[in-house]
Amino acid sequence: MSRRWRCICLILPLMFVTGCWDSSEVNDLAIELAWGIDKSPNKKVRISIQSIIPSKISGGQGEGAGGTSKGKPFFVVSGDGINTLDAIQRIQTKLSRQVFRGHRRVIVIGESMARQGIKDVIDTYTRDPNLKLRTDIFIVKGSTAKDFLQVSYPLENIPGLGVLGEYNQLGTLMELGFLNFLLAATSEGKSPSVPAVAIGMNAASQDEGSKKGQPGTDNEGFRIVGTGIFNKELKLLGFVNLEEGRALRWVSGKLKKMTVSTTLPDETGDVSMDIYNLGEKIQPSIHGNKLNIQVTLTGDGAIRENNTNLDLTQVDNIAFLQGELNKHIEETVLHTITKVQKNMGLTCLDSAMSFALKIFDCGNP
Amino acid sequence: MRLFRWLQSQKHSGENINSNQPRSTDLPLLNDQEEALCTELAINEEKLRDSFRACTDIVFRSVSSSPKVLLIFADGLIDTRTLDEVVLLPILNGTSNRLDGDAITAEIIQDQLLAIAQIQTVSTINEVTDGILKANIALLVAGENKAIIADLKGFEKRSVQEPAAEASVRGPRDGFTETLRINTSLIRRRIRSSRLKIESITIGRVSQTDIAIIYIEGIVSLTILEEVRRRIGRIQIDGVIESGYIEEFIEDVTWSPFPQIQNTERPDIVCASLLEGKVAIIVDNTPFALIAPMTFWTGLQAVEDYYERSIYTTFIRFVRYSLFNIALLLPSMYVALSTFHQQLIPMNLLISIANSREGVPFPTFVETLLMEFMFEGLREAGIRMPKAVGSAVSIVGALVIGQAAVQAGIVSAPVVIVVATTGIASFAIPRYNFGTAYRLLRFPMLIFAGILGLYGIIGGLFLMIVHLLGLRSFGVPYMSPVIPQIPQSLKDVFIRAPRWMMTERPSFAGANKKRIPEGQQPNPTRRSEQNE
Repeated sequence: MSRRWRCICLILPLMFVTGCWDSSEVNDLAIELAWGIDKSPNKKVRISIQSIIPSKISGGQGEGAGGTSKGKPFFVVSGDGINTLDAIQRIQTKLSRQVFRGHRRVIVIGESMARQGIKDVIDTYTRDPNLKLRTDIFIVKGSTAKDFLQVSYPLENIPGLGVLGEYNQLGTLMELGFLNFLLAATSEGKSPSVPAVAIGMNAASQDEGSKKGQPGTDNEGFRIVGTGIFNKELKLLGFVNLEEGRALRWVSGKLKKMTVSTTLPDETGDVSMDIYNLGEKIQPSIHGNKLNIQVTLTGDGAIRENNTNLDLTQVDNIAFLQGELNKHIEETVLHTITKVQKNMGLTCLDSAMSFALKIFDCGNP
Repeated sequence: MRLFRWLQSQKHSGENINSNQPRSTDLPLLNDQEEALCTELAINEEKLRDSFRACTDIVFRSVSSSPKVLLIFADGLIDTRTLDEVVLLPILNGTSNRLDGDAITAEIIQDQLLAIAQIQTVSTINEVTDGILKANIALLVAGENKAIIADLKGFEKRSVQEPAAEASVRGPRDGFTETLRINTSLIRRRIRSSRLKIESITIGRVSQTDIAIIYIEGIVSLTILEEVRRRIGRIQIDGVIESGYIEEFIEDVTWSPFPQIQNTERPDIVCASLLEGKVAIIVDNTPFALIAPMTFWTGLQAVEDYYERSIYTTFIRFVRYSLFNIALLLPSMYVALSTFHQQLIPMNLLISIANSREGVPFPTFVETLLMEFMFEGLREAGIRMPKAVGSAVSIVGALVIGQAAVQAGIVSAPVVIVVATTGIASFAIPRYNFGTAYRLLRFPMLIFAGILGLYGIIGGLFLMIVHLLGLRSFGVPYMSPVIPQIPQSLKDVFIRAPRWMMTERPSFAGANKKRIPEGQQPNPTRRSEQNE
């Protein structure tokens, strides 16, 4: 009996020496939701973080008392360093609370950084146990990540979440952007593609803003402008626009729904169709020394807008429209694939491509 | 270490008590005198008056008949009106009517004069005093060395009322009272079988409390019954005021937060338990009956489970089991997640937690502990307060702790929500004393979580489960029928099967486990088929 108690007395303290003392209160954390990577002029990398200011988030009991407190509920802090962790350390010197990276939702990369190549800085994101791979990744077209993070967004408290929402509204699958990015970067035959965002709600807003004499206002917002294509060295090669980006995603099977609009050549007017149940089939075949890849895209559609004189109760007219829309889609997709192949020397046809490459290699040693 | 040694020494000394020590001599007890009555009435009276010296409620009434009759009773325990009509009048009349001069004897009084059902003749002083103290009247007749003890109970007793602590929407509304005989009658009325046995023991050297061991012969397991008898038989105590006194002597493990003997005020629960092969122990002067053995799952079954329809009961059981986990784990989970594993909290929730924690002076762990402590205090105050002040407690509790503390920024709103939810959840555990086990265990869990996070919670749960698995109640494993698994009995654990499906008694019942024949599923024929 007394031996048993002695054993328990010996075992109990073991619970306290396991080193799990890393507790930290929520109000000792700077909860960071968005993360920017930029090129730094003198050092190698500039990291910016968008962190929430808990007391300024409305609806809580903080100092605001009813959320009437003014000012943005977030702030951006940045630091330069020779690599990411060095930069974080410098950021930490500017913050009273520990940076908490476990809830990061968005990584944005400045265009200049992306063009320079991010292979050197991406390693730490695959090592950090606090980091979740469900983060989404975006490229800021024509600006730096730091500027992007400072833009506020009218619908969301934390603008970093706004870009996520915009992306989801495009009809893409809920993807694990960063995870897919890493997978694409490390697997053969795939080239990573990342959605691109630009500051400003619409393309002309910057002009309007300057006309009104309020450049750089807070109410700018941002928009998805297309997709950035990387090569295997993780250097940004170029952008495709939204429509082309959709086509790419359809081909790679990541699109859920889309709306196709086209003007009819002979008729006066235009039609729009919602397409859902999107499917794709990629069949590589070898003719002599040439590799042919046949892409078949399928989908069901419903005509939602008809601004022509066509009577859609007639089956002939529907078949006609179907043909026109098919042609339109075919043109778009073909155009996109060609553009990507020609301009960037890449293909985005993912796994089928890599599979085909292997066959090709085997057939022609 | 010293504490453990002390506990061990307590244990050893406890064993010493068992080894039939002579009765301790702390009090020269009156009823230890084994003295026979003599034929001289005056001497008997002298002895009895000596026993009852300074007992102002004992009345000595001598009737000057021939020969003299001495009537002794305890005032207040006796129905005095009946005493006058049934005892005094016949004796007075009887003596005056006997013109033939025949002397009246105890036998004549007993056989011809007293219209009382329960009557007995005793021959020692000891038995006379016992009889008087147990609400009987004693009649001593001059010239005889025996006394008549007649039952004439007439003390004030509470009527049968709805049990306050165990209310139900559907089901019988009668509850036990403080009177043993009423309680046994409530059981006897429900089980009209001669196989329902009620054994009586008197426990308490001073209090002489009646205790009844109730079981159904043929259903109860003899080993359990024998164990109950043995454990009750070795109790040596001066007085038994409530059944809790007995419970602490006969439970298996004292140093456990979990009760191993069920208590109830409801006769229907007792009867259902008896039919399952359990043993009930009823103590005089308390409405709380004990039921043994008890399993973990009994603690989570409410009486209404068996009166409502089985589908609804099954649903409610799942609700109850979830709440029961909340009652145990919610505060510690909150502390662990918000101080160790912020990644696991959904983002928006984390932001609102962070928002409400701005400016709160205490760490989350201290804050939660403080609020849990205050909640327990509030609950305790609410029970003890006189009813008139009770509302003040709830107003102060709700306003000061619920709102003012949050507005003043002393505690954060999520902690108040967590503590309130936990409180409500802990009240959803149907057996009150089983719920207290969980309210108690919440605090060590909270400390584990505060020190070690989820790791600590898992450790704490591990210890708790190991303890539960080792626990037994009168030889029945506490976690049965889940561990060890008895598939037949699982019909009444997570679900509550319809009654016609529960064909067997629990595994701890005696030889006769078959409860009802199979194939009693309702299978009504349609009217049109009936006609054919």
